[in-house]
Amino acid sequence: MLDNVSLGRYYPAHSFLHDTDPRVKTILYAVYLVAIFIIKEPVTIAVLAGVIILQLIMAKITPGILWSTVKPIIPLALFIFAINVFTIRQGDVLFSWKIITITGYGISRAAIMAIRLIFLIVSTSVLLTLTTTPLKMSDALEKLFSPLQVIKVPVHEMAMMMSIALRFIPTLASETRKIMKAQQSRGADYDTGSFINKIKGYITVLIPLFVSSFRRADELAVAMDARCYRGGKGRTKLNPLKLTAKDVLCGILFTLLAVLVVVIDLTLR
Amino acid sequence: MPEDQNRIEVKDVSFSYDVSDETSGKAPRLALDGISVSIEKGSYTAILGSNGSGKSTLAKIIDILEVPDSGKVVIFGKDSSNDDLFWEIREHCCCVFQNPDNQIVGTMIEEDVAFGPENLGIPNPELRQRVDQALKDVGLYEFRHKETMALSGGQKQKLAIAGALAMKPDILILDEATAMLDPTSRDDFLTLVEKMRVEKGLTLITITHDMTEALRCDKLIIVNKGKVALEGTPEEIFLSEDLWKYGLKRPVKFNFAFEIAKLTGSTLTKEDLKSNETLVASLVKMLTKPGLKEPGNVIVDRKKPDETDIIMSVKGLSYTYGGSDTKAIDDINLDIRRGEVLGIVGESGCGKTTLISHMNAIIRPVEGDVIIHTKDGDLSCSNKKDTMKIRQNVGLVFQYPEYQLFEETVYKDIAYGLKKMNVGAEEQKTMIMEAAEKVGLTERELNASPFELSGGQKRRAAMAGVLVMRPGILVLDEPASGLDPKGRQEMFAIIKSLRDSGTTIILVSHNMDEAAVNCDRICLIDNGKIKAVGTPAELFVKKRADELKVQLPRITRFSAVLRTELEEIYPDIEFAGNYFNPEKEAKAIVAAVCKAGGGNA
Repeated sequence: MLDNVSLGRYYPAHSFLHDTDPRVKTILYAVYLVAIFIIKEPVTIAVLAGVIILQLIMAKITPGILWSTVKPIIPLALFIFAINVFTIRQGDVLFSWKIITITGYGISRAAIMAIRLIFLIVSTSVLLTLTTTPLKMSDALEKLFSPLQVIKVPVHEMAMMMSIALRFIPTLASETRKIMKAQQSRGADYDTGSFINKIKGYITVLIPLFVSSFRRADELAVAMDARCYRGGKGRTKLNPLKLTAKDVLCGILFTLLAVLVVVIDLTLR
Repeated sequence: MPEDQNRIEVKDVSFSYDVSDETSGKAPRLALDGISVSIEKGSYTAILGSNGSGKSTLAKIIDILEVPDSGKVVIFGKDSSNDDLFWEIREHCCCVFQNPDNQIVGTMIEEDVAFGPENLGIPNPELRQRVDQALKDVGLYEFRHKETMALSGGQKQKLAIAGALAMKPDILILDEATAMLDPTSRDDFLTLVEKMRVEKGLTLITITHDMTEALRCDKLIIVNKGKVALEGTPEEIFLSEDLWKYGLKRPVKFNFAFEIAKLTGSTLTKEDLKSNETLVASLVKMLTKPGLKEPGNVIVDRKKPDETDIIMSVKGLSYTYGGSDTKAIDDINLDIRRGEVLGIVGESGCGKTTLISHMNAIIRPVEGDVIIHTKDGDLSCSNKKDTMKIRQNVGLVFQYPEYQLFEETVYKDIAYGLKKMNVGAEEQKTMIMEAAEKVGLTERELNASPFELSGGQKRRAAMAGVLVMRPGILVLDEPASGLDPKGRQEMFAIIKSLRDSGTTIILVSHNMDEAAVNCDRICLIDNGKIKAVGTPAELFVKKRADELKVQLPRITRFSAVLRTELEEIYPDIEFAGNYFNPEKEAKAIVAAVCKAGGGNA
């Protein structure tokens, strides 16, 4: 399960979307988030899927990478699908047995919910995590939210925390694997037994994981201190964000596409 | 004061991590206790000491990562208590720490190198030029757009050096920076750092547990209980008989030389230790002087484990990790004899961990199999039904096992495996006490929280958690890594006593010296394949080692020079094979010289 942790993982490549200004990508992401949650019609869902596929191509993301990103959330998507199928009772009844009632409307609503979730994850990955390094992303957020500094929001610090959190995901994943292996070799069994037992089994993994996270945090803080980190004031950037005509064009184009999809969707209802 | 401009002066510094508690009336434990150190600009100094001696704290004080409770620190004439100079001092003093993963901030290599100078507010294009130059200096320039996580341990430490160089430091502090590297990466790393020291005129301070590494320095400072215990050139320090008191040892070749001196009734002086040439010359003099006596007790070789009594067979084992197209291990065939200590030796990433993970079915064999031969019949690692039995029979202790402790008390932690096996409470107690005794844990330590123990104690507690299942085979992955010389010695004493009580031991190591001394047989692994299996004496002969492209243990390399010299003096001399324990090798040499007619002249 943990072998393919790709949530929040960067995919190093040279592509159009990799080079796009992270601020543009962040704004686009917000736009697509709204679009994903508005649309309901099969036609527009298909069109949006097309747009997302276009983005995937522009980011040079291979089907394998895409699959490893989507795979972990499939159980959740199925769960959401099932909940919706069984709880929505409006529309024509297709099947009914004792307390179970399945309706055509229920199935279509449930499918939309599940598809939204998958779109959400793919969009997050293609626009942000896969194509943007955590440091660039934190730069973008810092810049976009910098007006909040006026009301004393520690924007730089929050952005730095986020980028470090992302940077440590693979490290902690491999640490988790190590701890589980060590406990398995002492007779732990995470796969069988009752649900309660499984949860208990994971607690023995979480304690050493927490302890080691604190230790790592401590060591990293010292290392950052040693490298003269003192907050955002006076910091320069090796690769400062530069908005080019290409970035603006890309932003406008994809925003228009999203708006178009939403407008069509609303008129179709 | 002109002389102060050229020195790092630490004067009467005391420091404690504890917050002093007025009510308890207990004095806080001092990490540094009125320590005074003076380090010359441009010098190469090693700070040595046992775990918890205060040596890392001393380094942190120099970089003002900790502020002394009392005393004074003056760096090249700048007083570090002066707030105006704070950033200036820190900017010019850089640190590389032990754990490569916990000092990388950036996801991309060049982003990480830029982190320091960005903090200093260096503008482009100078920033870009500094980053590129630093990456070129350490040889990582072509990887600059790669992910930091994709680097090996040795490369990550080089990245840390690049991050430091980009800040244009005057002082570079290595805080056990080589502790987690294999010997090849270690040599690489040190050669690089030493080259940088010369090129950039750095003052280099290294904190290390490796005594041979310390020999490369101009000056050694030994810290014990927060004070300087000894100070001097390597020759002066390693002449001292007190090293053991401070948890330290002499480098292997000196150990060997002192053994010869003892057997021949001679003494070594500071001048003798200056270089390999002077040392060999004085040893030859000792061995050729009249009145040489046969060494008292003859060397007793350990009884060889029975070749036909196989406890575990690895058969045609191959494994490829998901997402990779090269085999992590490739067609491994290996028989492990009952009661032996088998060393599995190879560089980082050669497949050692993958191999041992198969031995108790943590990774289930996909191609090939591992069979455990027990009294009650054979167990197969590919058979899911045998898994629990295999895990009782084969105990596996991974590297840094202390990071995996989780219970409230050490006792409960050791009991974990027994609970999983549904052992009764009474029997549990006996088994736990037995395991605790094997690793030398006291009653008090058993009732303590694992997080209160020292590093070495934690490691032994974690080992007890595996030993408690009374495994017939114990697999240990780098059991001594990160320990100080005394801790290492204690760990190997535990391993020896386990061996003597009949446990078969598989020892994974990248330390040739320790593998040669402690193993009955050694299995060399390279790129997932077995390159050779044999006794240390068979493998570590110059000709064979050259064929296999492995480094000889340090003692063998040094002793070979002495042997050649002696062969010139006594053409008929015959040596009784190679020994890797300094004491045994010294005896073997003296015995050979006596036999060849030396000492009677």
